[in-house]
Amino acid sequence: MSLMSFAPSRPLSIGVELELQLLSCNDYNLVSSAPDMLRRIERYPHPGDVKPEMTRSMIEINTSVQQEYGALVEELRSLRNVVSDAGRFLNVAVAGGGTHPFQHWSEQKIFDAPRFHHLSELYGYLAKQFTIFGQHVHIGCTGPDEALHLMHMLSRYIPHFIALSASSPFVQGHDTGFASARLNSVFSFPLSGRAPFVLRWDDFEQFFGKMTTTGVVESMKDFYWDIRPKPEFGTIEVRVCDTPLTVEIAAAIACYIQAMARYIMVEQRIAPEEDDYLVYTFNRFQACRFGLEGIFIDPRTHEQRSIRDDIADMLTRIAGHASELRAVEAMERIREILIAGNGTSWLRQTYAREHNLGDVMQLQADLWMSN
Amino acid sequence: MTWSSYLPLWPLSVSPALWLALSLVVAVLVGEALVRYAKLPRIVGYIGIGLLLGPGGLGLIPQLPEVEWRLVVDLALGILLFELGSKVNLRWLKANPWIAATSLLEAVATFFAVFLLLSWFDIPGITAAVAATIAIATSPAIVVRTVTESRAQGQVTDRLLLMTALNCIYAVIFHKLAVAFMHGETGTGFVHSVLPPLYLISGSALLAWLFGVTFERIHHYVGQHEETFSFILFGMIAFATIMASTLKLSPILVLLAAGLITRYQRQRPRTFPPHFGSAGAVLVVLMFIANGLAADLGGLRSGLLLVLLLIIVRSAAKLLSVLILGHYSGIGLRQTMALGIALAPMSSVALLLTLDTSAMFPAFGSGMGLVLMSCIVILELSGPILVQKALRSAGETPEKQT
Repeated sequence: MSLMSFAPSRPLSIGVELELQLLSCNDYNLVSSAPDMLRRIERYPHPGDVKPEMTRSMIEINTSVQQEYGALVEELRSLRNVVSDAGRFLNVAVAGGGTHPFQHWSEQKIFDAPRFHHLSELYGYLAKQFTIFGQHVHIGCTGPDEALHLMHMLSRYIPHFIALSASSPFVQGHDTGFASARLNSVFSFPLSGRAPFVLRWDDFEQFFGKMTTTGVVESMKDFYWDIRPKPEFGTIEVRVCDTPLTVEIAAAIACYIQAMARYIMVEQRIAPEEDDYLVYTFNRFQACRFGLEGIFIDPRTHEQRSIRDDIADMLTRIAGHASELRAVEAMERIREILIAGNGTSWLRQTYAREHNLGDVMQLQADLWMSN
Repeated sequence: MTWSSYLPLWPLSVSPALWLALSLVVAVLVGEALVRYAKLPRIVGYIGIGLLLGPGGLGLIPQLPEVEWRLVVDLALGILLFELGSKVNLRWLKANPWIAATSLLEAVATFFAVFLLLSWFDIPGITAAVAATIAIATSPAIVVRTVTESRAQGQVTDRLLLMTALNCIYAVIFHKLAVAFMHGETGTGFVHSVLPPLYLISGSALLAWLFGVTFERIHHYVGQHEETFSFILFGMIAFATIMASTLKLSPILVLLAAGLITRYQRQRPRTFPPHFGSAGAVLVVLMFIANGLAADLGGLRSGLLLVLLLIIVRSAAKLLSVLILGHYSGIGLRQTMALGIALAPMSSVALLLTLDTSAMFPAFGSGMGLVLMSCIVILELSGPILVQKALRSAGETPEKQT
């Protein structure tokens, strides 16, 4: 199967996908209610899309193609309301966050669809361990080569996105010490990591062709890369973020990526280099482990600073682009995260106060579902 | 000194408790065998062994004395009812009024279906009404125990727990009302027919509220220590049960309401170990064995047809009511079927109501009471299996059975 040609899309348009947790209101453990939720949601008109995911205790909400923060956050809010209302009707709580703090992977049930059963057979317990919840952000690109350029340039800033969205410190009942423990589950997949360093779409198609003839992959969906091109949408898709604890933060992070993309395409205009990736896994690990306090090594200058400082610096550089994109409010929210902390710090503080992960999960769901 | 001062006399005179202890061992072993080889719920084994070894079966074990039996059942049922109440989210009824409607329809339909059937068999109106109120209740013991054992979770499970709690409340209240009218018929004034249910509801609610408040306080201080807390809880449940009986209130209503109030006030659910720890679990097992021992199938000899029809009509009324409103309340056909079937079990609550009525009206005990007892035995044995199969077919049990 050859790669689909790259559909052009409006540059810098954005779309957000959020994977959400479905919880039983009795114990706030994950509950396999996706079919019930989807059946209920189907009956109400809503923007965007609500879809099943790998296991039956998750659903995904997708926005339509948006241009700016205001409309994006509005659409996310109305999607959240539709999902929350369905949840209240069915005694199911809905929450953000990258992991469920005490679910047991072996109790998850695979959603009844051929693709999910196939993946479950292929990956075994990894598929059930994949009961993790991420935010994916699509950025529209004019053409395929621009998409590859943007993908490699954005790779430098992957730690920013991880640290800002991080909200998965707890796994299987314990504090992992990671800001985003969710990504550790992603890294265990054989085709995770970064895309190969190719800058032209022809070369990328060649790479993809070679991979399919080996029989390793069938479609782009089989690559679990941190950022990957999505030719049918004409976008690149940033996939490293945890689902934040509120839709407002999700929208702000999407717009932060959007403003940065504008900065890269309009102002920066330098070519990516293969050596940019020398520090890639180190920086990414620092972000996963320590969040905003992690160390960031600049791939070009080799200068070291905290991820928080690098984001603050970036906010100043992209301020003009953000106001062009009418995303000033979004940048304010990002600045708030730098001061008040990300989802992981909220979760750790809440746990320190409540001493009970069930109560943390309930408060997390209240935070997500409240208007 | 004689032989008899230090050697036991033959034949041995043993207390019934010895036999209960022995049947506990046997019943638990049989329960495990049922899970392992037949994938059936353990309680079928507990009730079955009680039935098989007891007076109703082979007669190897004598019936427990009434007082001891009642203590075990009251305590264990108290634990299960409080557990049920604390698992149920009453706020859900507000968010989804269709569930409240389903519950009301199911109870009303069951009452009238059973009442009409009994009237057709020429049973006097008031006796038929008392029996019909007893038929409303789904067994909380079987439902809670089977849900715990199968680790089920999902829409059908949540609704089953909620609707069971509600129909037990209806059953107890309307039973009291019907019994009051029965008294009226045997010659007491109108006032004495109306006051009892009022006293029952307000008195039980007050006692339940006190229980809930005390529970919260105590949990606040010693809740961290699970074992200590379970001791206190047993004490409280025993106290509330005995207090309720002393005040002529309903222990069933008090403990169920206490659980509901605790959950409603705190808003946040708590997770307790099943039956509040292993001591509670032992009591629950003993209760099922004791129920088996107390089983009386005498009604089958005289009224086999009526017993069978009663079971069929009652189950059909519950299933059809759920089927009518299932779609509106947001579940699919398969789930609706499962829920309707899982509402069938009858056990301790119905048994206690029947026995209480028989104690007051011996005529009831020798007629209608026997028919009900037979229904209870059949639905107690088949109930756990029905609930387990229903939850499994609704896809609410873990994929791999343990």
